[in-house]
Parts: sequence; C-alpha cells; structure tokens
Amino acid sequence: MKLLNGEILSNEKYSDNLYKMGIFSPYICKNATAGQFINVKCSPEGVLDPLLRRPFSIFNIEKKFNVFSILYMVKGRGTQFISGLKSGDMLDFAGPMGDGIDLNGNENNILLIGGGIGIAPLYLIAKLAGEMKKNVFFAAGFKDNSYLRWGKDLIELKINYAVLTEDGSWGEKGLVSDYVWNNMESFKNFDIYCCGPRDMLKTLQNIYKDRNNKVTALLEERMACGIGVCAGCVIKLRKGKKGFSYKKVCKDGPAFSLGEVIFD
Amino acid sequence: MTEQDSLFSYETDTGGNGSSLSVRLGRIKLDNPVIACSGTFACGLEYSQFYNTAILGAVTTKSYSLAPIEGNPPPRICETASGMLNSIGLQNDGIDIFIKKHLHEAEKLGIKIILSIFGQDPEEFRKVASRAADIKERIIAVELNLSCPNVKNGGMAFSAMPDEVEKIVSSTVSILNIPVIAKLSPNHQNLVEAAIAAKKGGAEALSVLNTVVGMAVDIETFRPGLGNVLGGLSGPAVKPIALAKVYSLTREKILPVIGMGGIFSWQDALEFLVAGASAVGIGTANFIQYDAGKKIIEGLRNYLKEKKIYDINEVIGRLRT
Repeated sequence: MKLLNGEILSNEKYSDNLYKMGIFSPYICKNATAGQFINVKCSPEGVLDPLLRRPFSIFNIEKKFNVFSILYMVKGRGTQFISGLKSGDMLDFAGPMGDGIDLNGNENNILLIGGGIGIAPLYLIAKLAGEMKKNVFFAAGFKDNSYLRWGKDLIELKINYAVLTEDGSWGEKGLVSDYVWNNMESFKNFDIYCCGPRDMLKTLQNIYKDRNNKVTALLEERMACGIGVCAGCVIKLRKGKKGFSYKKVCKDGPAFSLGEVIFD
Repeated sequence: MTEQDSLFSYETDTGGNGSSLSVRLGRIKLDNPVIACSGTFACGLEYSQFYNTAILGAVTTKSYSLAPIEGNPPPRICETASGMLNSIGLQNDGIDIFIKKHLHEAEKLGIKIILSIFGQDPEEFRKVASRAADIKERIIAVELNLSCPNVKNGGMAFSAMPDEVEKIVSSTVSILNIPVIAKLSPNHQNLVEAAIAAKKGGAEALSVLNTVVGMAVDIETFRPGLGNVLGGLSGPAVKPIALAKVYSLTREKILPVIGMGGIFSWQDALEFLVAGASAVGIGTANFIQYDAGKKIIEGLRNYLKEKKIYDINEVIGRLRT
C-alpha cells in the first residue's frame, strides 16, 4: 500500500450524477485486484475541508495501459469535488486497500448481483472470472436508466447478463433480487458476489439462508483511516449462536460471507 | 503520464545534524517533539507501510483496558466542517493482548512507546497499571486516558473530578514508578484544577486535549450522525480551542504539556510550541495524511534551519503577549 499522486487520464460523465475516472498508476495496476479499494483525498491540495478521504472500489484495471478506474456517484461534497477534476490533474490517493477476492477456490459458475453503484466492485470480479474462463452472469438492478452508459462497459466483458430497472426504462422492469429469486434454479451451482443497498442485501440474505451457495457481500461503511487503525468502519458479524463481533470493513473486508452479516 | 510517490524519498535524520529537536517533559526525553496521539496510530504497525515510524518522538498506543471492549454501535464516524466526530467507544483488545502481541510488533519497528490505559473505575486503572508494571522497562511512559466515564460514580468523566484525577494518578505512579502522563478532557470547566490535581498525584506531564463533545443530525432521516448520538470532535475545527486550553495551562506553569488538537502541518505544531507546549500530538491528521508525523518533523527541522535557531526549546513558550 502506498500514498500516491496519479495523473487523471479521463473523468467521463456517464449521466447526471455518475462518473468514471481513469487514473494512471503502474503501482495499482501491478498490485491491486478485484474487491480492493483506494482512499482518495477529495479536497484541493492544502485544503482540509472536506476532511476525510473517501473510499472508492477499483472498478477496472487495464494492465496494458497502466490505467485503473473508479466508477462513482456524486453524493456529497467529496464526490462533487472530484467530479470537477480534469484529465491532466493529479489525484491524491492511497491504495490498494482491503483484502482482494481470490477467484481460484470458486465454482466455475459465478453470479454477480449488483444494485445501483454496488455494481462498481463487481465489474472487475466479472472481468477476471471471465478471463479465467468461468461461466459468469451479471445481474444488475437500477432505479432508472441513469446507468445506461455503463451498459457499454458491461457488453465489453462478453458475459451473460440481465439488467433490471424499477421504472422499466432499461431492461426488464423490477428488482434485481426478484430476478434472482425467479431464476433460482438456473443459478443453483453458482458462487455469488453481491453489492448494493442494505435492503437488497437483506433480501438476498433471506433468499440464500437455507441454500448451499457461497454468497459473498461487499460492504461499505463510513471510514476515517481506511487502513485498520481507527475502528470507525465496523459492521456486525455473527459470533457463536447469539453473539456478534465488530469487524472492520477496511481491513477485515470489504468482502464478507453474507450469511454472517448482521443488519440492524 | 505521471505517477509519483507522495513520500519523501529520503529518511528523516532525527539527531545529530543541524538544529536540535530534542525536548524534555520532566523525566521524559524525546528526540523530537512529535508524538502520535492515542487511538489514531494503533501501535504504529499500519503506518510503517508509509514511513519509518521509529523517527517519531514517541507513539502513544490505543487506550487499553483490563478486558477487551467491543466498542459502540455504528455509525462511529461522522464528518463535519473541517473535522470529524467519532464514537468508537474505546474498542480495544485488552492489556494482555497488547503485552503479548502489539508490544512486540512495535518494538520490532524500534518505536518509542507511550502506553495509554484506562479503566471504568479507579480499581480497573490500578489493575491495568499493575499489568503495565511488568513491561515498564519496554515503554517510556504511561498515559492515563481520564476522559472515559467513571461507571461506578455516575458515569461522569474522571477528568471532571480533580479528586479522582489525583487518586488515579498517584495510585498508578506508585505502581509503575515510570513517568505518568495525564490526558485531560476539554469538556469541563475545571481544567486547571484537574491539571493541578494530576501534578499533586505525581504526573510527569499533561496531554491536552482529548476530543470535544459534539453531535450531528441527518436531516433526511432525523437520525443522529453517530450511532452513539454524542461523540468526540477532532481535526482542524478544534485547533483554536486546543491552543487556548494548552495556553491556559502552560501560562500557569503546572506541568509540561503535550499539545494536541487539529495539528496537520508543521506550522500548526509550531503554534502549539510557541503557545507553551513542550511536545505536540498528531491525531486525526494520521487518518488523512498517513505520513503526517514525518512531514511535521521535516517541516520543523527546516524551519529551525532557515531561522538559524539551534535548539527547538528556544521557541517553546515564546508567545509575545
């Protein structure tokens, strides 16, 4: 893990609040893998407001070009700031952080279930699993068609996929969790990675409660340090029959077995 | 296309050449006045990825209690204007795991360790101090986190009660026989009384200040920003408060003070030194600029060199009023 300044090569606006930023970084491209994240300073040099770095999943790595990217939604002051950065500007970030996902021990069938911006960490898993010649299926759900431009990225992976939107403006109308439920038999022997809103994860936890699939959730929490020091980003994991323990999303995760997570 | 390591490419030289950065706080002698604050640096291991943490004057560990503590429900972090609120709830592995595991890791890195301890009542303070006595040759001091609530006495923070401060300090001093630092809270009116009590109890120095009580509200959900509702504010937002508290103590010349609160740069550190602090604590800055400690040492050294000041002690307490 290093503190770095990487040159921004692109900061493309996908829709009103959705951006993809490409950053030149031989170090990240060499050392990072799917499931990891970077921690970005989201204020101008020498300015301490907004104060905390913001974690972003590594969306894609293009080793050939030494470029990696993040896909992000403008939600607050930090993302507002980075959405205004231009190609040629430098990004102050640290990484790679968190445990990466090892796809070697997996089934040959991988199902990715993403809700909204939760698709961001799943994309690289899908890409790497595809390169390993695994059978990959991406189920992605959104409120509306604001992720339409991302559909182009998805097509590039040359994998099977389904897109659902709540308003029916892109793909099938409905919720991605309903889609998974309705197609349960087709995904019987799949290992699953999911990321998205808490309600989606809770529903998936119920769906897979009594099934044998290995289901991994990628979680997010507000972070301060991102390196396992401050204990700010904890989530509850089951411990024993009734107990729980707090685990750090930044260091113990961000990937956790979905069945172990306690959503309060 | 460029990518740069944002670290300095050379190691910091803390002694010998050029101006002297070494400071004394009673019997505590530091190579330089820059200390990592408790709870923001673990035991130094994570930061050693970014620089040689042995160059710091000292590292104050996370606060340890007798038994492990799980801490508060999330969310535990909430960003505010130029600051952050936290309600971690003193999550820690317990003093025994520190001794068995973390202490070794810190020693391997050559870190000078100040052990931070706390208890829910004076008896627990004594018990943790007794455990610490077994390793007293391996640490340079013990810091007492006196901002935690006294569970057996209505839950008010120890540092709000000068009598309790004196009792706890004197009992740990008698058990440990190494320098004891009292870390005081800014959240009570009687800071000077608490500091005098710490001195009576035999403390070597004071750490000032711990976080300032604060809160935030999410106006979308009407929920508090923190799971624990109230938390501690830190970061640049508290720096003027911290400076004023440090000054209020150093002008009374009670005990040497480690000044802390919103220090992000060498300029911030220098302000505290001029206001009378004998050393400075780097806290929240570690979360954002992982090599803040190193940069602040470098900055102070360069400042002294440029100003042709040969000893940092020449700036300490030199506020012109």
